[in-house]
Parts: sequence; structure tokens; C-alpha cells
Amino acid sequence: MAAAMVAAPPPPTTSAGHVLALLDEDDDALKLHALQLLDASVQDFWFQIASSIGAIEALFEDEEFGHRQLAALVASKVFYHLGDLDDALSYALGAGPLFDVAGTSEYVQTILARCIDTYVEQRVAEAEGHGDAAAPDARLVAIVERLFARCFSDGQYEQAVGVALESRRLDQLEAAITRSADPVKTLKYALDVSQRLVVSRDFRNQVLRLVVNQYEKVAQPDFGAICQCMMVLDDADEVANILFRLLGGSEDEALLAYQIAFDLVDAELQAFMAKVNSRLDTLAPAPAAPAAAEGAAPAEGEQHMETDQPAEAAPAEEEASPFAKRLAVFKTVISGDVPTELERQFLARHNHADLQILKNIRASVEPRNSVCHSATVFANSVMHCGTTVDAFLRENLDWLKKATNWAKFGATAGLGVIHRGNVGKSRAIMAPYLPSAPGGSTPSPYSEGGALYALGLIHTSHGQGVRQFLLDSLRTTQHEVIQHGACLGLGVAALGTGDEEAFEDIKNVLYMDNAVAGEAAGLSLGLLCAGSGTEKAAELLAYAHETQHEKIIRGVAVSLALIQYGREEEAEGMIEQMTSELDPILRYGGMFVIGLAYCGTSNNAAIQKLLHFAVSDVSNDVRRAAVMNLGYVLASTPEQCPKIVSLLAESYNPHVRYGAAMAVGIACAGTGLREAVALLEPLIKDSVDFVQQGALIAMALVLVEQPEARVKPLRAHIDRLYGNKGAEVMTRMGAVMAAGILDCGGRNATIGLRSRSGHFRRTAVLGLTLFSQYWYWYPLSYCIALAVQPSALIGVDASLRAPKAFQVVSNCRASQFAYAAPVKVDDKKDKAKLPTAVLSTTARAKARAAKKSKDAAKDAGAGGEAAKEAGGAEAMETDKPAAAKVAEGEKKEGEEAAVEKKEPEPTSFTADNPARVAPAQRRFISFPEGQRYAPIRAAPSGFVVLRDTQPDAGEAEYLFEEEKPAAAPAAPSTDEAAPAAAPPAAGAGSGDEPPPPEPFEQPGSSLQAERTMSGTEWWRGVTDKGKTEIPGAEATELRSAQWQIERDAPEGVQQQLEQGDKEAEQVEAYRDKQDPDYHPSKEKEG
Amino acid sequence: MADLAAASTLLGQLQTAFSSGDLATCKQLLGRLKLEMTKMPALPPVYQQSANTQQQLELARQVLELAVLLAVRQCDEAAFERNYAQLRVYFSDARGMLPPSGQEGALTGLHLLRLLVANRIAEFHSELEVVPPEVQATPEVAQVVQLEQWLMEGAYNKVLAARASAASDYTRHFLDQLSSTVREEVASCSERAYESLSVADAASVLMLGGEAEVEAYAREHGWEVSGGRIAFHKRGDSADGGADGTAPPAVDLIGHCLNYAREIERIV
Repeated sequence: MAAAMVAAPPPPTTSAGHVLALLDEDDDALKLHALQLLDASVQDFWFQIASSIGAIEALFEDEEFGHRQLAALVASKVFYHLGDLDDALSYALGAGPLFDVAGTSEYVQTILARCIDTYVEQRVAEAEGHGDAAAPDARLVAIVERLFARCFSDGQYEQAVGVALESRRLDQLEAAITRSADPVKTLKYALDVSQRLVVSRDFRNQVLRLVVNQYEKVAQPDFGAICQCMMVLDDADEVANILFRLLGGSEDEALLAYQIAFDLVDAELQAFMAKVNSRLDTLAPAPAAPAAAEGAAPAEGEQHMETDQPAEAAPAEEEASPFAKRLAVFKTVISGDVPTELERQFLARHNHADLQILKNIRASVEPRNSVCHSATVFANSVMHCGTTVDAFLRENLDWLKKATNWAKFGATAGLGVIHRGNVGKSRAIMAPYLPSAPGGSTPSPYSEGGALYALGLIHTSHGQGVRQFLLDSLRTTQHEVIQHGACLGLGVAALGTGDEEAFEDIKNVLYMDNAVAGEAAGLSLGLLCAGSGTEKAAELLAYAHETQHEKIIRGVAVSLALIQYGREEEAEGMIEQMTSELDPILRYGGMFVIGLAYCGTSNNAAIQKLLHFAVSDVSNDVRRAAVMNLGYVLASTPEQCPKIVSLLAESYNPHVRYGAAMAVGIACAGTGLREAVALLEPLIKDSVDFVQQGALIAMALVLVEQPEARVKPLRAHIDRLYGNKGAEVMTRMGAVMAAGILDCGGRNATIGLRSRSGHFRRTAVLGLTLFSQYWYWYPLSYCIALAVQPSALIGVDASLRAPKAFQVVSNCRASQFAYAAPVKVDDKKDKAKLPTAVLSTTARAKARAAKKSKDAAKDAGAGGEAAKEAGGAEAMETDKPAAAKVAEGEKKEGEEAAVEKKEPEPTSFTADNPARVAPAQRRFISFPEGQRYAPIRAAPSGFVVLRDTQPDAGEAEYLFEEEKPAAAPAAPSTDEAAPAAAPPAAGAGSGDEPPPPEPFEQPGSSLQAERTMSGTEWWRGVTDKGKTEIPGAEATELRSAQWQIERDAPEGVQQQLEQGDKEAEQVEAYRDKQDPDYHPSKEKEG
Repeated sequence: MADLAAASTLLGQLQTAFSSGDLATCKQLLGRLKLEMTKMPALPPVYQQSANTQQQLELARQVLELAVLLAVRQCDEAAFERNYAQLRVYFSDARGMLPPSGQEGALTGLHLLRLLVANRIAEFHSELEVVPPEVQATPEVAQVVQLEQWLMEGAYNKVLAARASAASDYTRHFLDQLSSTVREEVASCSERAYESLSVADAASVLMLGGEAEVEAYAREHGWEVSGGRIAFHKRGDSADGGADGTAPPAVDLIGHCLNYAREIERIV
């Protein structure tokens, strides 16, 4: 029987009472025994032990008891089970070495987490210098140290890095990096995490310094990463040193230097690049060679890069200094010339903007409605941003004439958007509109101002070329509109350079206290000093208090935000001051200061502040701005933004709803995030017109360059809206603008706030900020061009030319990211609108062309010629023959119906250099092995420098070169009409792009004398005509100038608009009578 | 093994000392034995299986049984409670691993009695619930249960009478305490029941031996003894005011109710 009992399994323990009783014994050995037993069974009997916790605590307090730490451990566990983590932690600390940091139990994990939290809290408090913050408990430090030690011994270096960063332990961070098995990986991780998660800017910079130091110690340092760090730290000297070393190294190193240069330029920090450049000059051993090369660069523009490349390389070889040659090549990158040019070429050649969309919009928007009219001009500009295709404008000159005053200013600026990046020819393109144009009659200040602004937009971030010219223009004029344009142009072109001379000049304009010029001057000052956090901000703020003009106050308020871009904590003073202002406009600016200073940091304090103002401020403008700026703060974590603003999007206040829509648009720009779309969808159908407008624009920002399947509903909605006469004007304007943004850059670009390496592009963020000011001032909407980022993957070899023989594989179906199918021509609609809208011969020709192209579509076989006739511009804008395109379009339409019958599409396709890579497509990109060209770094977008693996395989073929002769004849045939008056640009042009607008015929017998006027002067001609022939026009101009200025009082604006429309109608009627050719019946014949 | 042998020897010594009444030696031996027991892996809550598991358990139980009895002898309440807590696991969890102990009934009875004496009635009942029926049937336990019933009924005289028929010395020790508990109960009842009481009556009610004892007892409780009568003071504690005839404040209550009704009316 005894044996049976022995074999019996141990009974379940139901109570710890007998063990607890041992605690009351006198003998310490018994207590120890009890504690040991309790320690082992605490997870089962904590509830019983809890009632005796006093006894255990007493044991811990008893100085004479030899096992106090064990008592502390037991107590800690009991408190943990009771949910009292603070006590649990303090007893765990008391347990000293008995607390096992290596344990995997939930208890240990929880306490450790608590421990680290507490430690981090104390360290941060200590670092931020809160007076009463004591040094962390030594025992706490000991535990954290042990934790580090364990991480190191277990190889969990990433965890160690995380804890070190959070607790601001640079020493441990360093240890983690040096001791890790793969320092490069750890460094990369540290870099990534510090960018995303470290809140304090100071500490982040310290981390970056450390990371850079460590990087340099690694056997094979990642110079790209180092240079990125240095750029964030604004250490131009070090970058220059590294690049200098690389350029002097092997061939591969030189290629790497080029790659780094491309990456750095991508971040668009003009001033920084200039510093690097000048530093390189001082380092260069033979300063003569680079100086010569540099001298040539700005003068010759892209010619130097394309055609003269071999020629230029020759003298360099004569000097037998490969280094000088490399340096010269390198400088073309770092000055931004080559990247800009390559991107422009890409955009120009791959342009897929659908002119039919614009035609439809133009046809359904009544031209007397100036708001929609200028929105259409805007849409055209953005759609063709950087493509240099101005076919639409040239086809619709008459229609364009309807833009007067500020609308004309905007339309001229739009040319700058279209020609963005065409740095070499900017002056030639804009020449006819510029103030000092030769042979100009009485120029309109609006087009002059617009042209100066346009120059700035063309030269965004590459302003050296036009800075002096703009400055001179600013000095020589006293006209407020021209000053306005010059200020904006200068600001955009010299963004972030902190140019002292320009600053003084613009400040003088500001102090003249003219509302129109002052507003632009304020903004311009902000752009010049963007992100500098300069002392001058206080001066500006003081002036904002002085002046009476709301426009100036607003300009200065926004400019203060631009100045504080990315300054984070340093901007706190300014934020404090501006948010407590009595003037709502300054508080409005204060919101932007918060948004931009903490741009992309997801800083909690900033978010809370913005949310506070979003719900509590008395001014609608401030509330709207507060919500909108959440978008900037959350830009680095777009998936968070819809969640945070979702409640605000349901606010009763339409301004808050508008702000929520824009916040999502800004934060999720180009991501196509589903949550964002879901949030915006109801807002698009909001009951308030401007909320719909904001939602449409935001939706376009989010969905730009997304797979067509996702964009389709939005396109359909836009189509319904702009032609809907019943819809509010504001809504229709939003729809038209959205249509433009959706197809920005000829469907080959996205709205990219971040560079390919993940840093925020200051230019883009500020561009979007200015864009959002369109609410008050339409011309600022053109600043969205600053945020347009070509979504190209361009491979370049050592000579910085794009070789043809380079391909990338996209591991997805080709149709997934294909261009949208061209819109079908709706003949009926066109016919219905045309007679009332367009009266000129051009229009008749167009109607013919439209009809013909429709015929062509029916008859795909003969389509080639017909299409070419239909739109010469269309043939030119793509590198594919037009016939093929038409046929393709036809095929696609057919496919839609019978897609199932087709055999499944292959799951991958190859794309030739330069490849269009939509943002969502990036993860599918791979580089096939065995090509002649191998990438230095396998980046899925942007510029990729290629290594020629078979340098002996003969001369490579390059893109963008042999196509030039093909492009030249593609110029419109009407060119012959007035060869003599052809603008200088057409003559000088190498033909690789469409020349500026060709001559056109002014309809009407009274204008016979102007028959052969140069097309580029159409604008001026229009103005003159208006002035001489229509006496009422002057008054119309004056009155309609007012409607654009302030949108604060919509009712008043509406009235003015209607009045303006009536007058325009009279003008129209008058002009119609003047046209002897005009007869309604003739329209039908045409 | 050696441990067990040494412990057995110690246990032998302890038993001898205990039966000879040498309490000091007992205490010292007990301390050593308990230390020995910490080294026995078979004891709860570890229950490590080995060849002599049962012996270890049995030895531990014997030690603790002695320890409890010793505590009673020493009149050491705390020690009793502590030791019994340690012992109890052998009567509950480890019960199945051991042959039944002869002392179980007596010790359980003592424990219950102690709870009763200390007026911890709730604990008494919950303890009683877990006592297995065969143990409840033992006379020691049955007697305690009977006592509890008398006490609840208020049959104090039976309780006091039980003292005379105490089963063992240990029980008598507790019963002494019980009678004083009962006397307290009676005294507090008397305070409420009588304005005053003659000393002779008091002696019989309180079951005290003589007038001298009554007077001493009265002094302890602060009663006035004059002219052969004890005058109970109405204690100032008006905690239960209803007992001394004051009617509930009916008028006030009615007033409040009406007031509430009016307020509710007004709100609606």
C-alpha cells in the first residue's frame, strides 16, 4: 500500500497558507525557505500572498535580514499581479541582481518595459533640462545597463539601438554599432530609426554625427548614406571632402560620386549644393579646368550636355587629367543641370496628357465664368508641367484671350509651369512677355508680372541663371503687379538660398506698404530664407503688426512659416508668439508655423496644439489652417492621418471639413492610401461647395499616378461636375483643378513630398504650402509645380547620358500601371458648345480636326495620317508614332469588353530606359542580370548611375539624341506662315522640343494689319486690341480685378463675378459684330 | 536519508521532552527540526517523489502536530496559529499521500475551538466546511460543533458546563477562555437588560464564584457597586438609539418625503 502511495501523483496545491505561516517563524532560515517557496509559486498564489504582503515588505525593510532582495523580488511579483506596476518596479529594483533581465516571462517583460519607460522618461527630462529632474535611480541605470549587455550578448543589436536612442544613450548606441556583427546593417537601422522616431532635433543631429563617424570607420563605408546624413546636418564641407575623395578614386568610386550627387540634388537644397560646389572648387588641384567647364554650363544649357558632350570631353582628355574630366562631369550633376534636363526630356517624350480632357473641359466651361476659366488654364499648366507641350494654349488662343488682369497673370505664369526645368531656354520662351522685350508696344503689366513669376517657376531651385535678371526687373519697376511677379519669381527661383542682396531689395518693396506688392514680397522673403529660422523673422513679424493691409499681414504670416520650416523646437518661441496673437491672420500663420516647423515629425505636442486650435479658435480661417497643417506634421506617417482627422471630417463647421480634406491630401499625397480615399469620398459629395472643392483637390493629390482602376471613379465624378451648370462655381473650379493635378506632368509625375532617399523635399513641401494659399490668391496655385516629381527611373552611364541598352523588369502586369485610356471624343457635346464658345477660324479648324480624328479612330488603318493632321502637337508629344497610339487606344477599348477571353497577361514586363515607375510600382522593380549596364545602386526610381560592364563592346547608343532630327519636322506646319517673325527661341532651338507658340491669324478685317504678327506676341496683340477697340474694356478690367483679390466674402464675389460676366458678354457681342466673317450659318458649314 | 535519520532522532528526543514537560528543550528541538524539514524535498508544496516520500511527510506531520500541542501548552496563540497553518496542508492537500493520523480529530477540534473562542465565527464555519466528514464525526470535533450551536442559541450555561466535562487538558485551556468570552456576552446583555442588579443575582447570572469576584468584575467594567446592588450606567454610546426608547424621527421623515415629492413635481 505504501508503494502505491509513493507512486501516486502529487496532489494539486490548493493553498500557500502553510508557506506563508513560515514567514512568521523567528528563524531567518525558515523565512528564507518560505520566500524561496513563495517565489516559485507566486503566479498561482499571489492573491493569498497579497494579504501577507505587509510581512514581506517588512522583511525587505528589515536591515538585518540577510535576504532582503529575495523579499523584494517576491513583493515585486505580487505587485505585478496586483497591477501596481510602479510598486512592482520599485521592488524589482530593490531585488538587485535577483531580478533576471534575461527572463522570458511576462512578468519580466512587463517590468523591463516599465523600467525602460521610466528610464527614458527620466533621461529625457534630464536632457531637456527641466530644473527639478534628478538623475535616474542608480539601480534603474544598472538594470538598463544589464539589458544592454544582454542585447549585445544575444545579438539583438537593433533592440539595443532602439533603447539607446530612446534613452539618449549615445555611448550605448556607439557600443551597439561597434559590437554588432554587421555594423553596416545596424548603422542603417540606426539612421532610419533616428530619422523617423527621434523627436528632439538636437539629439537627432547628435545621433547623425555619431552615425557618420561610425560609418567612416566601417571597412566599406556607405558614402551615399553618409552624405545624406551630412546633408541633414548641413555639413557641406564634409560632403565635398567625401565626394572629392571618391572622384579621385577608381572608376567605380567616381560613378558612386555621381550617384550621390544625383541623390543629393534630388533633395533640392539649392544653397547646400552651392556650398558643396564652392568647396569642391577650393579643393580641386587644377581650378582652371572646372572653371572653364562651369562657365560653359549655364550658357549653353542642355546643349552642352547632349550634343557637345563628346566635344567637351575631348579637350579634357588632352589635358590628360581624368580627374578634371570627372570633376567637370560631376559639376553638371551637382549644379542640377543634368538631372533637370534628363527629367525634362523624360517628361517631354513620355507625355501622355490627354488633350481631349482639356478640350472637353474647355467646351463645357462657359468662358465668361472667369473662375472656371482660370482653373482650366491652371489644369492645362499642371497637366503639362515640365513637358514643354503648350499645344492646348496654341490651339485655343481666342479662348485664352478671355483671361484678363490677374487671370492673365496666372495664365502667363502657367507657361512657366509648362516649361518647368527648361532652364536653358527660359529667357527665350518668356521673352515676348517680359518687361524689357524688344519691340514690345504697350505691354500689359499683368503678363509682365506673370512672366517674371513664370521665370522663377522654370528655374525652381536652379535660380543662378535668372536671379540677376529678376532682381534688375524688380529694381527698375514701380508697378505693383510687376513687383508682385518679380518677388514671387525671385522667391521661387532662389528658394532657401538666403540671398542677402535679394533680401534687402524685396524688403524695400515690402516696406513700401503696397498691398499687392507687399503680399508677394512677404512670401518671397519667406521663400528666400526657407528653413533658416533666421533672426530676421522677428523684424517681419513686427512689420506685420504695423501694416494695415491684410494681404501683407497674410503674406508675412505665411512667410514666417516658411522660414521656420523644419526647425522643430527652435520654432517654439515663434509658435508661442503667433498663436497668442489677437489678429486671426497671424494666428492663421501660426498654424502654418506649427505645421511646417514640425513637418513630417509626427510630433505629438504639435499635433495636440493643432487639434486644440482646430476645435477652439474663434476664427474659421485659423481652424481651417490648423486642421490642414495636421497633414504636414503627419506627412511621414500618411496612414495615421486619416485616422486622426476622421472626426474633424465630420465636423459641423465646413471650414474644418475643408481643412480635414486638405490635410489628408497633403499627408497622403501620391500614396493612393485606401483610408484616405474612404475619408474623402463623402466629402466630395459634401453640402458645401468649397468643401467639395477641397475634397476634389485632395483626392487628386492622393490618387495622382495611381493604377487607373482606382482613379476611374474620381475621373467620372470630375467629368460630371465641370460641365454641370447647376453645380456651384467653387465645386466646378475644384473639379477642373483636380483634373489637372490628377494628370500632372503628362501622367508621368507624382506629387512627391519626399525624395527617393526618404528625406522631405523642402521645395515640394513649401510649394504645396503656397499652393494651399490659392484660397486667397489664385496665382499661388501654380506653386504646385514645385511639388511635382517625375516618376522616372533614368539610368545614366559615366558620361551622364542615358544608354538605350538598359532595361528594368517590373514584376507586375503591364496593364496595372498603364496610362489611362484616352477619352473618347464626344462629338455631340462638342457641337453643342462650340458655336457659342469659339468663333475664330482656329475654332473652325479645330472642329474639322476633331471630326477628322474621329474618322481616323473609326478607320484605324488610315489613322496615322489623319491623326497627324488633326493635331500636329499630338504627334510630337509622344515618341511613338501617332498611328500606333490611336491603334493602341482602339485596342484597349476593345479589350475592356473582352478581357476574360484573352489569355492571361504575363506577370512581368520589361521597361526601357528611361522607365516610368509609378510610386506604387516601385516595389515591383528589379534589375535583370547580364545586361551591359549594371546599376551602382539598385534604386527603384530616380536616377541610377550605371556601370558599363562591356566598355569594349563599341559605342553605346544613347537616348534623347538621335530623336532630335525626328522631332524637328514635327513642328507644326503652320510655321511657314510667318517665318520672318519667328521668335528667337525657335531659331536657336535645337529642335528637341516644341518651339514656343507659333504665329496665328488674328480673325477680323479690322485686324488685317496684324495678320502676320508673331504667335508669341498674341498676348500683347490681344491686349492692344482690347484697349483700342473696346472703350468699355478698361472699366471691365478695373472692376473684375477685384473679384480675385479676396475670397473671404463669397456673396460679394459672386455678385462681382456676375457683373463681370455680363460685361464680358457685352464685349463678346460687340466683338462678334466686328467680325464680318461671322455668321451663325457659317459655323455649321465649318 | 541521513537527514531523515537525524530528523527521526530529533523527533524522538522531542517526543520524550514533550512527554516529560520540558518545554524549553522542546522549543529548541522544534526549531532544529523545522530547519531539517526545509531540506526535505518531499514536503509540500514541492512533493518531490522519492523512496521515502511518505516517511518524510509523516515525520513532518508528527513534528508539526507536536508543535501545535506545544503551542497550546505554552499558551502561545501566535505559535498555535502558525504551526497549525503549516500542519493543515497535511490534513488537506497531502491527505491522500499519508495514512490517517490519530491526532487529526483532536487537533482540528482544537483549531475550531480556538476560532470559536476568538469569536471568529465566519472563519469557524468556512474551516468546518473543509473538514472531511469522518473527522467531523470524531468526538472532539463534534463537541466543538455542539458548543458553537449552544453559543449561538445563547445557552451560555451549557457552554460553561461543558468546561467541566472537558476531554483533555488542551481543550480545557481553550474552554477557560471560552467561559470568559461567554461571561463578557452575558455582562453586555445585562447592561442593556437591567438598570441595576443585586450582587448575589449578578453572581449567579455571570456565574461567578462569590461577591468578591463580582465586585472585582464590576470594577473591571466600570460599574458602580453600592449597597449590594450594581448600577449599570447607560453607556453614552447612542449607536443604537432605537434601543433606549427614542422614537424614530417620524415627523422629520414625513417632512423630507413631502419635500422630495414636491421637488420631483417641480422638476417634471
